[in-house]
Amino acid sequence: MTDEQTEHADAADEGTVVGAAEGELFSLDALMESELFVVGLFAAFVAVFPWVFSDAPVISGFLNGYRDLATLMLIWGIFAMGFNLLLGYTGLLSFGHAAFWGGAAYAAGIFSNLVSSSPILIILAGTVFAALLAWVLGFISLRRGGIYFSILTLAFGQMAYYMALSPMAWITNGENGYTAVEIGSLLGVIDLRYPVPVVGWLVGTWKYVLVGVVAVAAVAVAYRILNSPYGMVFRAVRENEQRAEFVGLNVWRYKLMSFVISGAFAGIAGSLFTIYGAYVPLQSLYWTTSGEIVIMSVLGGVGSLFGPIVGAGIYLYVENIISGVQALTLPFTGPAEWLTLVQEPVVLMEGFGAYWHLILGLVFVLVIALFPRGLWGLFEDVGEAVRSRTGGDR
Amino acid sequence: MSLVSQVATVLINGLQQGAIYVLVAIGLSIILGTLKFVNFAHGALYLIGTYVGLFITLEVQLTGGKLMEWGYTELGLGWGFLPALIIVPAVVFVVGIVMERFVARPFYDRPDTDQILLTFGLAIVVQELFKILFGGQSYNFARPAWASGPVSVPVIGSFPQWRLYVLGITAVLVAGVYLLIEYTDFGLVVRAGTRDAEMVQLLGIKITRPYLMVFGVGAALAGVAGVVGGPLYAVNPNIGTEVLVPAFLVVVIGGVGSITGAVIGGILIGETLAILVAVAPQWSQVGIYVLAAVVLLARPQGLLGVEEVTP
Repeated sequence: MTDEQTEHADAADEGTVVGAAEGELFSLDALMESELFVVGLFAAFVAVFPWVFSDAPVISGFLNGYRDLATLMLIWGIFAMGFNLLLGYTGLLSFGHAAFWGGAAYAAGIFSNLVSSSPILIILAGTVFAALLAWVLGFISLRRGGIYFSILTLAFGQMAYYMALSPMAWITNGENGYTAVEIGSLLGVIDLRYPVPVVGWLVGTWKYVLVGVVAVAAVAVAYRILNSPYGMVFRAVRENEQRAEFVGLNVWRYKLMSFVISGAFAGIAGSLFTIYGAYVPLQSLYWTTSGEIVIMSVLGGVGSLFGPIVGAGIYLYVENIISGVQALTLPFTGPAEWLTLVQEPVVLMEGFGAYWHLILGLVFVLVIALFPRGLWGLFEDVGEAVRSRTGGDR
Repeated sequence: MSLVSQVATVLINGLQQGAIYVLVAIGLSIILGTLKFVNFAHGALYLIGTYVGLFITLEVQLTGGKLMEWGYTELGLGWGFLPALIIVPAVVFVVGIVMERFVARPFYDRPDTDQILLTFGLAIVVQELFKILFGGQSYNFARPAWASGPVSVPVIGSFPQWRLYVLGITAVLVAGVYLLIEYTDFGLVVRAGTRDAEMVQLLGIKITRPYLMVFGVGAALAGVAGVVGGPLYAVNPNIGTEVLVPAFLVVVIGGVGSITGAVIGGILIGETLAILVAVAPQWSQVGIYVLAAVVLLARPQGLLGVEEVTP
């Protein structure tokens, strides 16, 4: 999935946008739902995100972010978005997506060493591998629906882990992970480690640019799929499989395609992960990785395009920043803050960082029980409430 | 060691390994079959069983303990195991009942995926709690003093005594559950509930109570598995999830809701593991998944499963 595809998608779409807004002089809703607007807004966000996160005055001091984490957030965001295509839109809960993420990471790493170190080819190789793997595993797992699907994907994900651990250790390097990754320069001239000239202060290195462009392309493709008749069928399958079957749709086929597309997205993300770290840990295939992507997606909110990306960001933020917090203090107390009310920090909880996983787990349980649409769904509800209160134009 | 005794050792090892899976899987299977509730936190019940058992048997060492002061260390280690075998199922039974009432019941009408997600989240919470309480390290769960040594078995030769006890305990418990389900009124209601819960209720039978019991018994079995399996594997907060995946495979292979199916599935997986460990160790873990895939391709409903009636 290269950046050229996005441009095509964008260019071709302008026609439909106008069509949708036809008959109204100006409609905020129509604008907000147009593909160009959604993708453009996301692209703008991607462009400023690392700067806001790590270098912007005031905010970055508050967030404690760093640029590599911003890159990682986008990569997991792509993964979560792909996962959500399956869970949020087709209603299939896979516990085996680590196989596609980790499988693609391995495929990309091995490809980079044995065939070509061109980043774009690496991404292609990993993605194709993940899509093919998804086809095979989906074919078997989808023999049973509902919970059996979850259990089977979990099982086959673990099978992939043990394959890489032992029988295929001659190529995967077993439990040490794959270390012989080679990352060449982009298009033969651009070294990914170097900062971008002129706008380097904003976006940082070429690596981030590559990840960002792929992320924007992924959002565009996902948007296009979900708003096409094809994507509508996914939703129909989620809402009522039997009815979808009765109107003559081959439900099994659509489920398989949804699984393959989702696997391909996981593959894109997995390949980027290899480029990001130049290393493939065996852990990337373990089922906890599948669990993480489940938590990210559900926390952020399934069934919306951006919810899972937000979820991925929150999860990684908690995992990497919050977990380092030794003591939870009241905001604006203590000397290190940008706004100091009291010099002595007021400690609310000692050893806070060590509990991050537990707290995230509890929040996860609460979200499922109380807000099945996740945090993004919560935002949407609040926004909706505000709009209707202020007299929206509907 | 002759070839015959080698083969026999491998087979009995497989049987013993399968026994643990059977204990965990039966609860999973009857809860899934009767209540139609997917319990990804079933491994957490195993975890609770192991740690409570460990706590009881190691009370001496963990607290510095009264028994230590009185100079009964040997006694405490050895006989702490029998109380553990009785207390743990009771504790986990109660945990199971609480889970049914406050976790499962509000979610019976929610989609399968919500049930899986909820119990998955719960499993994480339990696992993290134990990590905070007892640390992430592995504990050594000592075998009871009365079964710690090897014993001479005909054909096989010398064999760890505890593994035979595990087999015996499993056999007794499985037989007990089988009799309970097949030959009591309670079992009749449960079996009827497996087929058609709505019909059972229409016949005027209040199904809430049996549901509580099913969950409790299933949980208690996982707890027992935790105690008897404790001395065989390292004890750490991850074992709950580690035992969950094979247990699900057992259920899928054997067929949901079938006790005999769970036994057959457990033995199949245990033997596959044991044989592959002896013949081609690097394939041992992969083997059980291949086994599951082959069974499913041939019989999607599991070996003894009933073809589902579309809801």
